[in-house]
Amino acid sequence: MRSKFLFVVVILSLILASCGGGGQTATVRIGWAGSPDTLNPGTAVLSEAYTIFALVYDTIYEYQLDGTYKLDVAESADVSDDGLTWTFKIRDGIKFHDGESMTAEDVAFSVNLYKSNPDYVYLNSYTANFDTVEATDDTTVVITLLEAVPNMDYLLSYLYIVPQHIWQDHFEAPASVEFENLEMIGTGPFKMAEYAQNEFVRLTANKDHFQNPPKIDEVVFQTFESQDILVQSLKSGQVDMITEMPATAVETLKGEATIEVVTGAPFAPDVSDVIFNQVDPEKCPTDVGGLCTGHPALRDRNVRLALAHATDKQKLIDVVQLGFATPGLTLIPDGLGHWYNDTLTDFEFDVDKANSILDDAGYVDTDSDGVREMPDGSRPLTFRMHWPSDSIDAPRQAELLSEMWELVGVSLELQAVDPDALTAECCPTFDFDIILWGWGSDPDPNLLLSVYTTDEIPNGYNETGYSNPEVDQLNIEQGRELDPQKRQETVWQIQQIVFDDVVYIIPYYAQAVQAYRTDRFTGWVTDLGKVELSDVSSLVAIEPVK
Amino acid sequence: MTTPGAANDAAPGSTHQSENLLNRLRYFLKKIGWALSTILFVLVLNFFLFRVLPGDPARAGVHDPRLKKESIEALRVRFGLDKPVINCFESLNPVEFGSCSVNPLDTQFFIYLKNLLTGELGISYHTNRPVTEILAERLWNTVLLIGAGQILSILIGMAFGIFAAWKARTSIDYAAVTSSLIAWSLPTFWLGIILLFWGSANGFPLAGKATPGMSSMPLLQQWGDIAHHMFLPTLTYTIVYMGEYTLIMRSSLMDVLSEDYILTAKAKGLSTFQILKDHALKNAMLPLVTVIAINLGFTVAGAIQIETVFSWPGLGIAVYEAVGRRDFPLLQGAFLLIAVAVILANLIADLTYAYLDPRVQTE
Repeated sequence: MRSKFLFVVVILSLILASCGGGGQTATVRIGWAGSPDTLNPGTAVLSEAYTIFALVYDTIYEYQLDGTYKLDVAESADVSDDGLTWTFKIRDGIKFHDGESMTAEDVAFSVNLYKSNPDYVYLNSYTANFDTVEATDDTTVVITLLEAVPNMDYLLSYLYIVPQHIWQDHFEAPASVEFENLEMIGTGPFKMAEYAQNEFVRLTANKDHFQNPPKIDEVVFQTFESQDILVQSLKSGQVDMITEMPATAVETLKGEATIEVVTGAPFAPDVSDVIFNQVDPEKCPTDVGGLCTGHPALRDRNVRLALAHATDKQKLIDVVQLGFATPGLTLIPDGLGHWYNDTLTDFEFDVDKANSILDDAGYVDTDSDGVREMPDGSRPLTFRMHWPSDSIDAPRQAELLSEMWELVGVSLELQAVDPDALTAECCPTFDFDIILWGWGSDPDPNLLLSVYTTDEIPNGYNETGYSNPEVDQLNIEQGRELDPQKRQETVWQIQQIVFDDVVYIIPYYAQAVQAYRTDRFTGWVTDLGKVELSDVSSLVAIEPVK
Repeated sequence: MTTPGAANDAAPGSTHQSENLLNRLRYFLKKIGWALSTILFVLVLNFFLFRVLPGDPARAGVHDPRLKKESIEALRVRFGLDKPVINCFESLNPVEFGSCSVNPLDTQFFIYLKNLLTGELGISYHTNRPVTEILAERLWNTVLLIGAGQILSILIGMAFGIFAAWKARTSIDYAAVTSSLIAWSLPTFWLGIILLFWGSANGFPLAGKATPGMSSMPLLQQWGDIAHHMFLPTLTYTIVYMGEYTLIMRSSLMDVLSEDYILTAKAKGLSTFQILKDHALKNAMLPLVTVIAINLGFTVAGAIQIETVFSWPGLGIAVYEAVGRRDFPLLQGAFLLIAVAVILANLIADLTYAYLDPRVQTE
């Protein structure tokens, strides 16, 4: 009985499905392997959530794919001579998706919302330097700072403008974190139409947008739990674009006539790193539990330099990333645009050179077991290499590094460690030799550069124990330098120093791999340096293929 | 008739009858008591199980320069993780004693118990939504898919099993047994992907349970849309489970058919249909009831593989993802739900047994 009923229903739905679909709505269907964790900008962590925020909300400054910023809801920005007072003129006539007008009040309210909620994990960090935020009239917002900074555009580029008339009831914790924000009223080029968590997000075009009215009518983000199925659905035409895919699928997709695969630096690049424990036992932070058990050889630049020469990055890229990565230099990835110092030349892969560096520095294999000893013969160059057990790439990296470094007389003890145990042995205890880990990044180099500074030992981000007064000084300077040109020079200079000191070996910067169908929509933006087809730039530009 | 397992003992005398009733009551109470104490045990175990896992929910794998120490601390306060797990223990590290002077009522464990008593399952760390709301959503999806799959596989499996046993040792029987064995041993994931590839070429949706934009359509059309999405995952589930039911039904029925009383029934001139319906089936159902009850209990836990292949937003995936994110409240809620479902299903099986075979009560 039941099966018959189901059968009838299925047939019925088939008929209905074939009848529909003749409408004139231009809907872009995007497949991704994730789903926003929440629609509340304050509490969101996952990048999928930020993708949606960028489409539904506007900001004072918009961060663009080419790495630059442009004014968004503000039409002008003025800064006082001391750099402490910023005055923004807000565009007139912007409307929220519910029809209410957006004024300077809403803008100031939004920034204050993020500023006053320490529970807002990411966004709160952008407002740390803001002293006051006020709307002086309907079109003027004045922000005063505690210290002048060169990167105001960046600090404001994630502070989404939300309507005061809705959020005023959710301004303070716990309401500010419990608010689900399902209606998601914003001013951006797309409006929230329908949201089913872990299933799909459906957005409709805001054709009245003041700057970026989309040409299409709808965008649907469909969640797939398996990346292989994601690829299949692009092939069969059930989605028009996919934001991620297994690198193994690239070749098969490239063979399809109507599918275009694009690769490049991702919008929010990740950095993979090989962390050397360089902390000086004399300066060990024992008061906070420091153990500082690092192998003394790793404090010698010669050893790190030799390891850099013994590392075949291209092989790591080919094996671990199937070729979809670029060789790394420092913690500042190529995806950070003009902040990335592209004048650095990498240490060439040269095993003989690596061997002669170690020979010259006195690291000789005295007992002929294939592993070199310290110059004083006290201990062999055997390093513990750990990585977070949830990493997919690290075990393969570790195996390859172990093979490569064996050729220069260095042996490794490989072990996967639970991420939290790893955090505990890293900092502030410094109870390790080498860790394979990585960083997420931010459009501005400020946070990643701080990882190199002495200030971040022992309780901050510094995981190597590297301490160089020159870098510390230059980092303070770049954080205060208001002239963009000069700031870039300083940022590049820091990269040169930490690169020469071989603080880390950066195996690679992974690339984004995305694909779209060419027979459905045209106008995808792929030439702005970075690749992100679900960015506003593409979604407001594409139109149906005629 | 001396049919073992017929419903009524039909013994005369009121004393016997009241004794019988008392027996039955005692059996019920014993079973229900067991079920309740198991649930209590699960409640306590659930709490400690996840906290023994290494990992800090306030960080959960995030290694991001934007995440400030103060923010992590604020998260820990919000989740209540700044409080000691239980009196004398800050964490569940057995060698690390904490202060024993804390108010026991202000520990994570008692707050958990107190919330449970008020029906409060907490807020998911990951989505900031009430756990009850998430579980309700996911449970409905799972019951829809697995329920349909179970009913279909039970019906079809039973029918095949009966048919095979009836035609025992004929080519029909061999075909049924072979195909059941193959179906039962098919890897779920693989079968799902094969069906999915076939379906994608035939216009079946590959992900989710509804087409975006359907919520504004008439109800009938919405249901049709869901059924359309359900077709492939349900088919996968049915094929995989059907074989098991066929094999159990067949062997159990063949056992019963070889009993003497069946021979008697045949000798009386009853038709095959009557023998099956009135004399054999009820007894042959016992092993099947056990398996069905166990499977039904786990229905709630979902079928992670099928849910993954077809991106079906069920409980299985929710639990899987929550483990990775150390989402304690969601895990506790889901495990409680699954445990209660399994215990209830077993209880129902026990009670059904008592109905099918009254001897069970007195044992």
